[in-house]
Amino acid sequence: MIEWAILVGVAAATLRVAAPLILASLGETVVEKAGLLNLGLQGAMLVGAFSGFMGAFFTGSLWLGLVCCVIGGTITTLLYGVLVINLNLDQVVSGLAINLLAGGLTLYFTRALFTGGVAPYLQELFGPMQIPLLGSIPILGEIIFSHTGFVYFGLICVPLISILLTKTTFGLRLRSIGEDPVIASYLGIDVVKMRYVALFIEGILAGIAGGLLTISMFNTFDTRIVAARGFVAVSIVILGRWNPLGVLAGSLLFGFTEVLSLRIGILFPEISSASTNQLFALLPYLVALIALIVGGRRVRGPASLGKRVGRE
Amino acid sequence: MSDRYVVSRGTKRSIIKALLSVLLTFAVTSVILLMSNVNPVLAFIYMFQGAFGDINLLSETLVRTSPIMVVSLGLAVSFKCKVWNIGAEGQLYIGAMLGTIVAIGIGGGLLSLLCALFVGAMGGLCWAAVPALMKVKLGINEVITTFLMNFVGIYLVQWMISYPFRSPDTYFPESAAVPASSALMIILPGTRLHLGVALALALVPIIYFLMERTTFGYKVNVVGENPEVARYGGIKVGKIVFASLIFSGVLAGLAGITEVMGIQYRVRGSLSPGYGYTGIVVALLGNNNPLGVALSSIFLAAIMNGSSTLAWAMNIPMGIVDLMQGLLFIFVLASEPFIRFLEGRGVLRL
Amino acid sequence: MDNRPSDPKKEDYAIFLKEITKTFPNGTVANFGITLGILKGEVHAILGENGAGKTTLLRMISGILKPDSGEIFIDGKSAKMRDPMDASRLGIGMVHQHFTLIPEFTVRENVALVLAESGWLDLKKVDAKIVEVSEKMGIEIDPEAKIENLPVGKRQLVEILRLLCRDVKILLLDEPTSVLTPIEVDSFFRIIRDLKSSGKTIVLVTHKMKEALKISDRVTVLRGGRVIRTVPTTEADEALLASLVVEGLAAPPVVKRGTPGDPILSIDSIIVKDDRGRTAVDGLSLVVRAGEIVGIAGVAGNGQKELVEAISGLRRVESGIITLSSQDITNKSTRFIIEKGLSYIPEDRMHRGVVLTMGIHDNLALKCIERPPMSKNWVIDRRSMINYAERLISDFSIKASDPCMSVENLSGGNIQKLIIARELSNGGTFLIAEQPTAGLDIKASEVVHQRLIDLRSRGAGILLVSSDLDEIIKLSDRICVMFGGKIVGEFFPENLDLERLSRAMLGAE
Repeated sequence: MIEWAILVGVAAATLRVAAPLILASLGETVVEKAGLLNLGLQGAMLVGAFSGFMGAFFTGSLWLGLVCCVIGGTITTLLYGVLVINLNLDQVVSGLAINLLAGGLTLYFTRALFTGGVAPYLQELFGPMQIPLLGSIPILGEIIFSHTGFVYFGLICVPLISILLTKTTFGLRLRSIGEDPVIASYLGIDVVKMRYVALFIEGILAGIAGGLLTISMFNTFDTRIVAARGFVAVSIVILGRWNPLGVLAGSLLFGFTEVLSLRIGILFPEISSASTNQLFALLPYLVALIALIVGGRRVRGPASLGKRVGRE
Repeated sequence: MSDRYVVSRGTKRSIIKALLSVLLTFAVTSVILLMSNVNPVLAFIYMFQGAFGDINLLSETLVRTSPIMVVSLGLAVSFKCKVWNIGAEGQLYIGAMLGTIVAIGIGGGLLSLLCALFVGAMGGLCWAAVPALMKVKLGINEVITTFLMNFVGIYLVQWMISYPFRSPDTYFPESAAVPASSALMIILPGTRLHLGVALALALVPIIYFLMERTTFGYKVNVVGENPEVARYGGIKVGKIVFASLIFSGVLAGLAGITEVMGIQYRVRGSLSPGYGYTGIVVALLGNNNPLGVALSSIFLAAIMNGSSTLAWAMNIPMGIVDLMQGLLFIFVLASEPFIRFLEGRGVLRL
Repeated sequence: MDNRPSDPKKEDYAIFLKEITKTFPNGTVANFGITLGILKGEVHAILGENGAGKTTLLRMISGILKPDSGEIFIDGKSAKMRDPMDASRLGIGMVHQHFTLIPEFTVRENVALVLAESGWLDLKKVDAKIVEVSEKMGIEIDPEAKIENLPVGKRQLVEILRLLCRDVKILLLDEPTSVLTPIEVDSFFRIIRDLKSSGKTIVLVTHKMKEALKISDRVTVLRGGRVIRTVPTTEADEALLASLVVEGLAAPPVVKRGTPGDPILSIDSIIVKDDRGRTAVDGLSLVVRAGEIVGIAGVAGNGQKELVEAISGLRRVESGIITLSSQDITNKSTRFIIEKGLSYIPEDRMHRGVVLTMGIHDNLALKCIERPPMSKNWVIDRRSMINYAERLISDFSIKASDPCMSVENLSGGNIQKLIIARELSNGGTFLIAEQPTAGLDIKASEVVHQRLIDLRSRGAGILLVSSDLDEIIKLSDRICVMFGGKIVGEFFPENLDLERLSRAMLGAE
């Protein structure tokens, strides 16, 4: 019976750990469908985490922290938009620039604002939301309905984004831009506006994805808090074939490996030691690389993805 | 010569770009400093003094320049090929670790040093070869893979210095020290200026020759500017992309092991304060031109060292370095369209 | 001009252009002082050679470009169009030379892209509209078909169908027949006449006089961005139009046929796949001999591109053998094939032919950089590169002030000269010329043709791939028609049966 409880625990933790990945990669799916490869996602998550923490810490309200992380995330993705849309700069390099700037800003202000250069702990966190009836279903209730609002939000976003992309005029137009922005503009579609809208959506999702790390998962901020989640999310979009359901599956896979690397001692006591436990920290990244090798080979994404719009 | 005229026009442009972005970076940093009630002029004077104030500080800045320069010269080659290696940090750590193991294994002496340098470079090569193969054979974006490889590499090294290769005699997780007889020689007595700095400087003309006067450099250029033309012209694009990426890995690995053999003598978790990322900014600021990269490395090293003076003199956190790096990156990028705009308006004539 | 229209407010005009001038940022004056009236319900042909400013004019009427000066009147009212949507609201729709369909999307999605107004996609409504309009047009179209799977002729019909779904009153067609075979052109013209009789106004841009004479009510000739004259088609003939289109053109020189020698290139039943993994070249066999120009005629998209790429080593050959100068080059590297004597003038010269940001000398050395005197033991000799560039610049009269200047500063014609200079100076014995005169004006085209003929006379074999049938007929010693990835017919330019040739191009032979 103990085994069973561990597995249920792992399943629930997987979902919890996958939540930021689900949100971030859904956001990235939307912008990539519009033909933008935003590697600055990492930076947007970092700024989200930072501003969420700052908001919550200085106002004392988690909800204002949530508002701040959304604002931080959108400002970051919109800045990326200025670089690639208005200035027509290379998408990859612009994404890298955003990441470095986000890293620099958050590090500087964390060091400058707090004594000792270390962010303090928050008094409270967004805790799990008990869902009345569903939460009391055995096993399933524990796995799926024992989480914070962020997890539910992430899960709800999967069908929402899917519907947005396939069932609405907005989604159809967005996808046409991702295939060929020049043709789309000939057809009277406002490419610039649509891309900014897509980046705005990504900014909200990435901001929350980063913010939930500080105001729900961990209760402090550190510039390494996002780890490589932004880049993992970009990999998930590739592995999930730009499909929200695939993205969900990919996020769960990575959530699972992360849980595995953290709980290796509990799951496999035979091989566990301080040494192996530390070594397993690299597991999620190794799995990400292997998954890309297996599932990421020459997949066909939106035709204009990552391309600069040529000057005519 | 007409030949020279064309070269100088491009060079002029990139110098203006670099100066403009440095200027803007200082301007924005000033605003941020003002917000913290710090006199920016004073701060930058402290920074300058901290970097170049006396012979000792100057030599420290040069010591700091060495790993940055080696990393960014390599990155300049891969960036010229439009291959975005952001995994230099991991390549650097792996190179340092493997080189150190070899240096300790062989014992002391010149042979130990040479083998360590070679193995260090090869370590960087191998760590870059994985994403290089994934890009060339499977078409997977190298930015994602090199970044993920950083995490695998750094966690791996951290584990190695915590367990299998941990120094028996220290409290912190770090490797044993390399034999003193295999370390890189000090070239200016009384300072920490070591032979590695000279090696780094010697790389500048070598990389310049490689890029400007060899068929490899030519091919890297064509592939970077237009891979379709390269393929049509009979250049094996995959090979060049692969070569440029592992070349940057070699130099990153070399930077790592040089840092061990010249300064730190051990592998620690703090071996590199992000040289792999600094190198990206340096390569772009130097417009991927070896001479520009060399000057930019000195500049970034000066900011790094100067900021520690700034830290104790004015209580400005060290994070100012990362902040300025980030700003520099954005401004280098944005200065290109800005200069084009000025040219279009006829304000600037190049 | 005597018949120059004067009153833009007159309601008879569907479109009235008043003193339209357009200059591009690079200084090219595309249109200058164009005044032109297009009557309601007429088919109006705009005739002119490449670079005469026809497409620019259409793009201004359709709201893609804005004129620098002048005024556009639609239905007698001054219209300031900021984007294509404004034009669309005024009932104007354009069919571009390069289609504006998303190949990844289905017909239905492509139509929905411009029809949809509300937030939710109502695909049933879209389907109903497609059925309604296609019945009216007398064509059959499957709304669920993906565009990339449709033949080119069909795609064009989808373009027109999409415009009609939006109740367009004025149709602007840019070189609509360039992708069609002569037989398809006939059925296309039938649709145009139907549209005209249902009250639509049609503006048709073309560089083919025969077509203008066949379909239009009136013809306007454009030359150098200016209106030369507008004539009722009934009063025009080829001689008149030719004299208006080109000023002072000498009769084209009679091309002497070559004397074919031994085979240089032999292709034996090769199979090649396209980017999407479908068979594009399907068991094709072909021989090109020394001193011979073989023309490949065919509608674009029948495997010509893949054939050329397979020969030049840019695309994998699934099965079959290609030999060049009696050496097996199947699936060999491009480098190897170039060394065995391949020269290649690519169709997409800006993206495949030259590196725009690099110097002329760099571009000219592209294929010989690894040989002395350009380099020895990997070390480049810049002096040799510059000397070589200076020589070719003067030999091929490329207009360039400096052998090291960036190629992006050259005009299109000079870039083509540069590519030809490189390919013809490479010591090759076999040349692929892919659309060698596309986008060039008549004089520049003539120079290119002469170079090709000279090369053939010197004993090289040439494979000429062109969608310009006139060019193929003029230069080729032998014409092979490609359809569905196969050679479906061989013709000789003497006593050519055009009727049979077009049937072959349609795969009906």
